[in-house]
Amino acid sequence: MQVHLKVFRFNPEIDRKPRYDRFDVQAEPTERVLDLLEMVKNYNDGTLAFRRSCAHGVCGSDAMRINGRNALACKVLLKDLNTDQVTVEPLLGMRVIKDLIVDMEPFFAHYRSVMPYLVNDEPLPEDGKERLQSPQEQERFEDTTKCILCAACTTSCPSFWASENYVGPAAIVNAHRFIYDSRDRAGAKRLAVLNQRMGVWACRTAFNCSEACPRDIQITRAIAEVKEALNR
Amino acid sequence: MSRLKTALGGYAGYQGREGHLAFLLHRVTGLGTVLFLTIHIVDTALVYFRPELYMDAVALYRSTLFGIGEVFLVFCVFYHGINGLRIAAFDLFLKKNWQIQTARSSVRWTLGLTLLLWLPATVIMVRNLLIHNFGLFGG
Repeated sequence: MQVHLKVFRFNPEIDRKPRYDRFDVQAEPTERVLDLLEMVKNYNDGTLAFRRSCAHGVCGSDAMRINGRNALACKVLLKDLNTDQVTVEPLLGMRVIKDLIVDMEPFFAHYRSVMPYLVNDEPLPEDGKERLQSPQEQERFEDTTKCILCAACTTSCPSFWASENYVGPAAIVNAHRFIYDSRDRAGAKRLAVLNQRMGVWACRTAFNCSEACPRDIQITRAIAEVKEALNR
Repeated sequence: MSRLKTALGGYAGYQGREGHLAFLLHRVTGLGTVLFLTIHIVDTALVYFRPELYMDAVALYRSTLFGIGEVFLVFCVFYHGINGLRIAAFDLFLKKNWQIQTARSSVRWTLGLTLLLWLPATVIMVRNLLIHNFGLFGG
Protein backbone atom coordinates (compact mmCIF):
# COMPACT_ATOMS: atom_id res chain seq x y z
CA MET A 1 0.00 0.00 0.00
CA GLN A 2 1.04 3.59 -0.58
CA VAL A 3 1.31 5.48 2.70
CA HIS A 4 1.35 9.27 2.92
CA LEU A 5 3.56 9.95 5.90
CA LYS A 6 3.65 13.36 7.57
CA VAL A 7 6.50 13.80 10.03
CA PHE A 8 7.06 16.55 12.60
CA ARG A 9 10.50 18.10 12.08
CA PHE A 10 12.31 20.53 14.33
CA ASN A 11 15.98 21.08 14.97
CA PRO A 12 16.26 23.85 17.59
CA GLU A 13 19.87 24.51 16.51
CA ILE A 14 18.79 25.48 12.99
CA ASP A 15 15.03 25.92 12.73
CA ARG A 16 13.07 28.87 14.08
CA LYS A 17 9.77 27.00 13.90
CA PRO A 18 8.72 23.36 13.61
CA ARG A 19 7.49 22.07 10.25
CA TYR A 20 6.00 18.90 8.80
CA ASP A 21 7.74 16.92 6.05
CA ARG A 22 5.74 14.63 3.80
CA PHE A 23 6.93 11.32 2.37
CA ASP A 24 5.15 8.78 0.19
CA VAL A 25 6.23 5.34 1.28
CA GLN A 26 5.42 1.91 -0.14
CA ALA A 27 4.66 -0.54 2.66
CA GLU A 28 2.73 -3.67 3.56
CA PRO A 29 -0.39 -3.30 5.76
CA THR A 30 1.28 -5.58 8.31
CA GLU A 31 4.28 -3.29 8.66
CA ARG A 32 4.59 -0.95 11.60
CA VAL A 33 4.90 2.81 11.86
CA LEU A 34 8.46 2.28 13.05
CA ASP A 35 9.20 0.51 9.74
CA LEU A 36 7.98 3.62 7.87
CA LEU A 37 10.31 5.83 9.88
CA GLU A 38 13.21 3.44 9.25
CA MET A 39 12.49 3.52 5.49
CA VAL A 40 12.44 7.31 5.45
CA LYS A 41 15.65 7.55 7.46
CA ASN A 42 17.42 4.93 5.33
CA TYR A 43 16.25 6.00 1.88
CA ASN A 44 14.82 9.55 1.98
CA ASP A 45 16.29 11.67 4.74
CA GLY A 46 19.10 10.46 6.98
CA THR A 47 18.74 13.50 9.24
CA LEU A 48 15.38 12.33 10.61
CA ALA A 49 15.81 11.73 14.34
CA PHE A 50 13.79 9.32 16.45
CA ARG A 51 14.47 6.91 19.29
CA ARG A 52 14.23 3.16 18.90
CA SER A 53 15.96 0.25 20.52
CA CYS A 54 14.37 -3.19 20.83
CA ALA A 55 11.65 -2.45 18.25
CA HIS A 56 9.42 -5.06 19.87
CA GLY A 57 7.39 -3.14 22.45
CA VAL A 58 9.64 -3.91 25.38
CA CYS A 59 12.12 -1.04 25.77
CA GLY A 60 9.61 1.81 25.44
CA SER A 61 11.96 4.03 23.40
CA ASP A 62 9.73 4.87 20.46
CA ALA A 63 6.64 6.34 22.12
CA MET A 64 5.21 9.13 19.98
CA ARG A 65 1.93 10.61 18.79
CA ILE A 66 0.64 8.60 15.84
CA ASN A 67 -2.38 10.16 14.17
CA GLY A 68 -2.92 12.26 17.27
CA ARG A 69 -2.73 9.48 19.83
CA ASN A 70 0.19 8.23 21.94
CA ALA A 71 1.54 4.80 21.07
CA LEU A 72 4.76 2.87 20.50
CA ALA A 73 5.74 3.13 16.83
CA CYS A 74 6.92 -0.49 16.96
CA LYS A 75 3.50 -1.75 18.07
CA VAL A 76 1.20 0.07 15.66
CA LEU A 77 0.48 -1.82 12.45
CA LEU A 78 -0.51 0.24 9.41
CA LYS A 79 -3.66 -1.85 8.89
CA ASP A 80 -4.83 -0.93 12.40
CA LEU A 81 -4.77 2.79 11.57
CA ASN A 82 -7.53 2.30 8.98
CA THR A 83 -6.10 5.04 6.77
CA ASP A 84 -3.20 5.62 4.42
CA GLN A 85 -2.52 9.02 5.98
CA VAL A 86 -0.09 8.71 8.88
CA THR A 87 1.06 11.66 10.97
CA VAL A 88 3.82 11.22 13.53
CA GLU A 89 4.64 13.84 16.14
CA PRO A 90 6.72 13.92 19.33
CA LEU A 91 5.17 13.33 22.74
CA LEU A 92 3.24 16.38 23.92
CA GLY A 93 4.40 18.49 26.85
CA MET A 94 8.11 17.66 26.61
CA ARG A 95 10.88 19.81 25.14
CA VAL A 96 11.79 18.67 21.64
CA ILE A 97 15.49 17.90 21.30
CA LYS A 98 15.23 17.02 17.62
CA ASP A 99 12.34 15.87 15.43
CA LEU A 100 10.65 13.04 17.35
CA ILE A 101 13.14 12.97 20.22
CA VAL A 102 12.03 14.72 23.41
CA ASP A 103 13.84 15.54 26.62
CA MET A 104 12.78 12.76 29.01
CA GLU A 105 14.62 14.15 32.05
CA PRO A 106 11.61 15.88 33.70
CA PHE A 107 9.69 12.60 33.29
CA PHE A 108 12.46 10.61 34.98
CA ALA A 109 12.80 13.24 37.73
CA HIS A 110 9.15 12.60 38.66
CA TYR A 111 9.80 8.87 38.44
CA ARG A 112 12.75 9.14 40.84
CA SER A 113 10.72 11.30 43.25
CA VAL A 114 8.50 8.35 44.24
CA MET A 115 11.48 6.13 45.19
CA PRO A 116 10.87 3.43 42.59
CA TYR A 117 12.83 0.71 44.37
CA LEU A 118 12.28 -1.69 47.24
CA VAL A 119 13.07 -0.21 50.66
CA ASN A 120 13.41 -2.59 53.58
CA ASP A 121 16.08 -2.14 56.24
CA GLU A 122 14.77 -4.91 58.44
CA PRO A 123 17.14 -7.85 59.07
CA LEU A 124 17.06 -10.61 56.47
CA PRO A 125 15.03 -13.73 57.26
CA GLU A 126 16.83 -16.35 59.37
CA ASP A 127 17.88 -18.38 56.35
CA GLY A 128 19.48 -15.20 54.96
CA LYS A 129 17.99 -15.72 51.53
CA GLU A 130 14.85 -13.95 50.39
CA ARG A 131 11.84 -12.08 51.78
CA LEU A 132 9.05 -14.46 50.90
CA GLN A 133 5.74 -13.30 49.49
CA SER A 134 2.56 -15.25 48.79
CA PRO A 135 1.14 -15.37 45.24
CA GLN A 136 -1.87 -13.38 46.53
CA GLU A 137 0.42 -10.65 47.90
CA GLN A 138 2.27 -10.51 44.59
CA GLU A 139 -0.96 -10.39 42.63
CA ARG A 140 -1.84 -7.13 44.44
CA PHE A 141 0.74 -5.15 42.44
CA GLU A 142 1.33 -7.46 39.45
CA ASP A 143 -0.34 -5.10 36.96
CA THR A 144 1.87 -2.13 37.80
CA THR A 145 5.11 -4.13 37.44
CA LYS A 146 4.58 -4.08 33.67
CA CYS A 147 5.51 -0.41 33.18
CA ILE A 148 8.31 0.16 30.64
CA LEU A 149 8.66 3.92 31.26
CA CYS A 150 7.82 4.91 27.70
CA ALA A 151 5.99 8.08 28.92
CA ALA A 152 3.01 7.45 26.63
CA CYS A 153 0.69 7.73 29.64
CA THR A 154 2.14 10.84 31.26
CA THR A 155 2.28 12.79 28.01
CA SER A 156 -1.31 11.90 27.13
CA CYS A 157 -2.57 13.34 30.41
CA PRO A 158 -4.40 16.71 30.30
CA SER A 159 -3.13 17.54 33.81
CA PHE A 160 0.47 17.06 32.63
CA TRP A 161 -0.12 19.22 29.56
CA ALA A 162 -1.32 21.98 31.90
CA SER A 163 1.57 21.64 34.34
CA GLU A 164 4.85 19.79 34.07
CA ASN A 165 4.96 19.82 37.88
CA TYR A 166 2.28 17.13 37.89
CA VAL A 167 4.01 13.94 38.95
CA GLY A 168 2.19 12.04 36.19
CA PRO A 169 0.59 8.61 35.75
CA ALA A 170 3.87 6.73 35.17
CA ALA A 171 5.36 7.86 38.49
CA ILE A 172 2.10 6.99 40.30
CA VAL A 173 2.03 3.56 38.67
CA ASN A 174 5.60 2.90 39.82
CA ALA A 175 4.79 4.17 43.31
CA HIS A 176 1.76 1.83 43.36
CA ARG A 177 4.04 -1.08 42.48
CA PHE A 178 5.95 -0.59 45.77
CA ILE A 179 3.19 0.84 47.99
CA TYR A 180 1.26 -2.42 47.59
CA ASP A 181 4.37 -4.65 47.84
CA SER A 182 4.12 -6.49 51.17
CA ARG A 183 7.95 -6.52 51.50
CA ASP A 184 8.36 -2.75 51.17
CA ARG A 185 8.58 -0.40 54.15
CA ALA A 186 8.65 3.06 52.52
CA GLY A 187 5.00 3.36 51.51
CA ALA A 188 4.43 6.32 53.83
CA LYS A 189 7.27 8.29 52.22
CA ARG A 190 5.91 7.65 48.72
CA LEU A 191 2.41 8.58 49.80
CA ALA A 192 3.73 11.83 51.25
CA VAL A 193 5.13 12.71 47.81
CA LEU A 194 1.85 11.83 46.12
CA ASN A 195 -0.39 13.53 48.68
CA GLN A 196 0.15 16.94 47.06
CA ARG A 197 -1.88 19.14 44.77
CA MET A 198 0.45 18.11 41.94
CA GLY A 199 0.51 14.54 43.15
CA VAL A 200 -2.23 11.99 42.83
CA TRP A 201 -5.02 14.58 43.35
CA ALA A 202 -4.28 16.26 40.02
CA CYS A 203 -5.66 13.20 38.20
CA ARG A 204 -8.88 14.15 36.38
CA THR A 205 -9.75 10.57 35.33
CA ALA A 206 -9.68 11.42 31.63
CA PHE A 207 -8.46 7.87 30.98
CA ASN A 208 -6.04 8.92 28.22
CA CYS A 209 -3.25 7.22 30.19
CA SER A 210 -4.97 3.84 30.36
CA GLU A 211 -5.90 4.09 26.68
CA ALA A 212 -2.33 4.97 25.68
CA CYS A 213 -0.49 2.39 27.76
CA PRO A 214 1.18 -0.12 25.40
CA ARG A 215 1.30 -2.67 28.22
CA ASP A 216 -2.42 -2.39 28.99
CA ILE A 217 -1.84 -1.37 32.59
CA GLN A 218 -5.07 -0.24 34.26
CA ILE A 219 -3.45 3.06 35.19
CA THR A 220 -6.52 5.00 36.30
CA ARG A 221 -7.46 2.15 38.62
CA ALA A 222 -3.93 2.12 40.06
CA ILE A 223 -4.22 5.87 40.67
CA ALA A 224 -7.57 5.31 42.43
CA GLU A 225 -5.93 2.65 44.61
CA VAL A 226 -3.16 5.05 45.60
CA LYS A 227 -5.85 7.61 46.52
CA GLU A 228 -7.45 4.87 48.61
CA ALA A 229 -4.13 4.17 50.33
CA LEU A 230 -3.91 7.87 51.19
CA ASN A 231 -7.35 7.78 52.80
CA ARG A 232 -6.59 4.76 54.97
CA MET B 1 2.19 30.87 27.95
CA SER B 2 3.89 27.96 26.26
CA ARG B 3 2.34 25.54 28.77
CA LEU B 4 -1.11 27.02 28.17
CA LYS B 5 -0.55 26.56 24.44
CA THR B 6 0.50 22.96 25.04
CA ALA B 7 -2.57 22.30 27.19
CA LEU B 8 -5.02 23.88 24.75
CA GLY B 9 -3.31 22.11 21.83
CA GLY B 10 -3.63 18.81 23.67
CA TYR B 11 -7.28 19.37 24.64
CA ALA B 12 -8.21 20.17 21.06
CA GLY B 13 -5.82 17.99 19.09
CA TYR B 14 -5.31 14.80 21.06
CA GLN B 15 -7.37 11.98 19.58
CA GLY B 16 -8.57 10.64 22.91
CA ARG B 17 -11.60 8.46 23.32
CA GLU B 18 -14.70 8.75 25.52
CA GLY B 19 -12.74 9.68 28.66
CA HIS B 20 -11.01 12.56 26.89
CA LEU B 21 -14.30 13.85 25.50
CA ALA B 22 -15.94 13.53 28.93
CA PHE B 23 -13.04 15.51 30.42
CA LEU B 24 -13.43 18.28 27.83
CA LEU B 25 -17.20 18.44 28.13
CA HIS B 26 -16.90 18.61 31.91
CA ARG B 27 -14.67 21.69 31.62
CA VAL B 28 -16.81 23.40 29.00
CA THR B 29 -20.06 22.79 30.91
CA GLY B 30 -18.39 23.87 34.17
CA LEU B 31 -17.27 27.13 32.56
CA GLY B 32 -20.74 27.65 31.06
CA THR B 33 -22.39 27.19 34.45
CA VAL B 34 -19.94 29.51 36.19
CA LEU B 35 -20.46 32.17 33.53
CA PHE B 36 -24.23 32.07 33.91
CA LEU B 37 -23.98 31.97 37.70
CA THR B 38 -21.77 35.07 37.62
CA ILE B 39 -24.28 36.92 35.45
CA HIS B 40 -27.07 35.84 37.80
CA ILE B 41 -25.18 37.08 40.89
CA VAL B 42 -24.51 40.40 39.18
CA ASP B 43 -28.16 40.96 38.16
CA THR B 44 -29.43 40.00 41.63
CA ALA B 45 -26.89 42.37 43.19
CA LEU B 46 -28.48 45.18 41.15
CA VAL B 47 -31.54 45.00 43.46
CA TYR B 48 -29.34 46.35 46.24
CA PHE B 49 -26.80 48.51 44.43
CA ARG B 50 -28.70 49.86 41.38
CA PRO B 51 -32.42 49.00 41.82
CA GLU B 52 -33.37 51.21 38.84
CA LEU B 53 -31.43 48.84 36.55
CA TYR B 54 -32.88 45.62 37.93
CA MET B 55 -35.96 45.57 35.68
CA ASP B 56 -33.71 46.13 32.66
CA ALA B 57 -31.73 43.06 33.71
CA VAL B 58 -34.94 41.02 34.01
CA ALA B 59 -35.99 42.20 30.54
CA LEU B 60 -32.63 40.96 29.26
CA TYR B 61 -33.44 37.52 30.65
CA ARG B 62 -36.63 37.51 28.62
CA SER B 63 -34.77 38.13 25.37
CA THR B 64 -34.50 35.34 22.79
CA LEU B 65 -30.71 35.17 23.06
CA PHE B 66 -30.85 34.62 26.81
CA GLY B 67 -33.67 32.11 26.37
CA ILE B 68 -31.49 30.02 24.05
CA GLY B 69 -28.56 30.47 26.44
CA GLU B 70 -30.68 29.12 29.30
CA VAL B 71 -31.51 26.00 27.29
CA PHE B 72 -27.76 25.32 27.01
CA LEU B 73 -27.30 26.25 30.67
CA VAL B 74 -29.66 23.43 31.64
CA PHE B 75 -27.57 21.01 29.56
CA CYS B 76 -24.40 22.28 31.26
CA VAL B 77 -25.86 21.85 34.73
CA PHE B 78 -27.21 18.35 34.03
CA TYR B 79 -24.04 17.09 32.35
CA HIS B 80 -21.65 18.65 34.86
CA GLY B 81 -23.65 17.30 37.78
CA ILE B 82 -24.14 13.77 36.44
CA ASN B 83 -20.56 13.44 35.23
CA GLY B 84 -19.32 14.68 38.60
CA LEU B 85 -21.42 12.03 40.32
CA ARG B 86 -20.04 9.40 37.92
CA ILE B 87 -16.46 10.29 38.76
CA ALA B 88 -17.17 10.49 42.50
CA ALA B 89 -18.98 7.14 42.47
CA PHE B 90 -16.08 5.40 40.71
CA ASP B 91 -13.45 7.11 42.84
CA LEU B 92 -15.20 6.41 46.14
CA PHE B 93 -17.07 3.14 45.72
CA LEU B 94 -16.20 1.42 42.44
CA LYS B 95 -12.40 1.57 42.21
CA LYS B 96 -12.16 -1.98 40.86
CA ASN B 97 -14.35 -0.92 37.93
CA TRP B 98 -12.06 1.93 36.86
CA GLN B 99 -11.14 0.04 33.71
CA ILE B 100 -11.18 1.12 30.09
CA GLN B 101 -14.35 -0.67 29.00
CA THR B 102 -16.32 0.35 32.09
CA ALA B 103 -15.12 3.92 31.78
CA ARG B 104 -16.12 4.10 28.11
CA SER B 105 -19.61 2.74 28.75
CA SER B 106 -20.09 4.94 31.83
CA VAL B 107 -19.37 8.03 29.71
CA ARG B 108 -21.97 6.93 27.17
CA TRP B 109 -24.49 6.32 29.98
CA THR B 110 -23.74 9.74 31.44
CA LEU B 111 -24.37 11.45 28.11
CA GLY B 112 -27.54 9.41 27.56
CA LEU B 113 -28.93 10.26 30.99
CA THR B 114 -28.08 13.92 30.48
CA LEU B 115 -29.98 14.01 27.19
CA LEU B 116 -32.91 12.15 28.76
CA LEU B 117 -33.22 14.81 31.47
CA TRP B 118 -32.36 17.73 29.21
CA LEU B 119 -34.75 17.09 26.32
CA PRO B 120 -38.05 17.45 28.29
CA ALA B 121 -36.74 20.64 29.88
CA THR B 122 -35.71 21.89 26.43
CA VAL B 123 -39.17 21.23 25.01
CA ILE B 124 -40.79 23.23 27.84
CA MET B 125 -38.29 26.10 27.61
CA VAL B 126 -38.36 26.37 23.82
CA ARG B 127 -42.19 26.25 23.90
CA ASN B 128 -42.24 29.13 26.41
CA LEU B 129 -39.79 31.04 24.25
CA LEU B 130 -41.98 30.57 21.17
CA ILE B 131 -45.11 31.62 23.10
CA HIS B 132 -43.69 34.75 24.77
CA ASN B 133 -41.15 35.96 22.21
CA PHE B 134 -42.73 34.92 18.93
CA GLY B 135 -46.44 34.82 19.76
CA LEU B 136 -46.83 31.20 18.65
CA PHE B 137 -49.16 28.59 20.23
CA GLY B 138 -51.68 31.32 21.12
CA GLY B 139 -49.12 33.52 22.88
